[in-house]
Amino acid sequence: MSLLDRFTDGWRKYRKPGYYEEFDYHWAMTIDLDKCTGCEACVTACQAENNLPIVGEKAFAEGREMKWIRIERYWEGEYPDVKLRFIPMLCQQCDSAPCETVCPVSATYHNQDGLNTQIYNRCIGTRSCAVYCPYEVRYFNWNDHQWDAPLEQQLNPDVTVREKGVMEKCTFCIQRIRQAKDHAKDDGRRRVRDGEVQPACVQTCPANALVFGDRKDPNSQVSRSMNDPRAYRVLEELNTDPSVVYLKKVDAKG
Amino acid sequence: MNVSIVPGLRALRPAALVGGTLFLGLLVGYWANATWYPGTSPEQPIEFSHRIHAGENEIPCMYCHTQARRSISAGVPSVSKCVGCHKEIATERPQIRKLMSYWQNEEPIPWIKVHDLPDFVHFTHKRHVSAYARAAGIECQTCHGPVETMDRIRVTSRAIDGSFQLDTPWEMGLCLNCHRQHQVEHGTDCWTCHK
Repeated sequence: MSLLDRFTDGWRKYRKPGYYEEFDYHWAMTIDLDKCTGCEACVTACQAENNLPIVGEKAFAEGREMKWIRIERYWEGEYPDVKLRFIPMLCQQCDSAPCETVCPVSATYHNQDGLNTQIYNRCIGTRSCAVYCPYEVRYFNWNDHQWDAPLEQQLNPDVTVREKGVMEKCTFCIQRIRQAKDHAKDDGRRRVRDGEVQPACVQTCPANALVFGDRKDPNSQVSRSMNDPRAYRVLEELNTDPSVVYLKKVDAKG
Repeated sequence: MNVSIVPGLRALRPAALVGGTLFLGLLVGYWANATWYPGTSPEQPIEFSHRIHAGENEIPCMYCHTQARRSISAGVPSVSKCVGCHKEIATERPQIRKLMSYWQNEEPIPWIKVHDLPDFVHFTHKRHVSAYARAAGIECQTCHGPVETMDRIRVTSRAIDGSFQLDTPWEMGLCLNCHRQHQVEHGTDCWTCHK
């Protein structure tokens, strides 16, 4: 087999959905829309945890804001009989993600934990992934961002400060997952316990609408929550197989 | 016949001008580089010698770098750690007097970082120094080179063949090589080290 054949073969195999026979962990999140009040505490927590910049008025008007999780607002029904709906929208960590297949440099790929990765130093900024993402949750750094003193003191050292020209998105707080695994190894355990790792948004949610955990463990809080009859996934017809499950808001019939 | 070398020299004048400018540029460039970029072995505020401490006196690395087994960063010892010994030992030497002046002024010593990794790399000393690593025969010197022979610390990395490369910073291939060799669990996944 020539080198080129080996390369293309490996590439094809890698591109196939379900490249992993089994995930090591399978991180997943459920968002209970019945509990979500749209307070945006998760947005703020994410901003603080992941070194997200405040882009300023001008960039915001150009649609270049950075929010790894955002609250989408929908109106249901016709005035005056309208209902307000919130959906927190973050990277869905799809198991067959469209963004992964399109990256020319494999800066985004699926790892063994069922996470859709984003490797900043590998990204060359083609923005193809953002075009392919049906959830519009990838954000491009159009500028180098500044943190005026003393705000640079609150930057999280466990997260890169991204430069101009790279794509970024929700990582399910990979730094926290890594730390939890580190603690597990210190204790001589192999697995991370349920509830031991929480992304910043989950930790902050005052209504406990967000639940995070390992989907492979049938007894984990997230697995039980996913079996709820209200569970659905956004744009499921696209077969992206998202890891974020929403629990539908149910109104009392009055 | 009257022969003069002056016309010949005159013809060389443009070449000399260009050459001279280039040479001057080289000097200025060298000076700027030496002045503003500390290079691979910067001069430290105190001429601390690892050769004397770790080499001759055989003080274990983690006697001073106590955080190496506990945290991401190996840490620089506090001034009180230095003073703990040097209250008694070699108190009359000029470098120790300098140390004591920091101590009396209650100031930290502005050490210059030598081994530095880019912002997007997550490297934890704790995991590499832990029991697993020691079982695999990984010493501090495996990555940092023969520190106990250095008077002033110098950037050193390990080549794929196992030899030390002076003045060469760490590259990803070297990390991956070791991770493959020791069959680290998910050791080649990008998100193991990149953040």
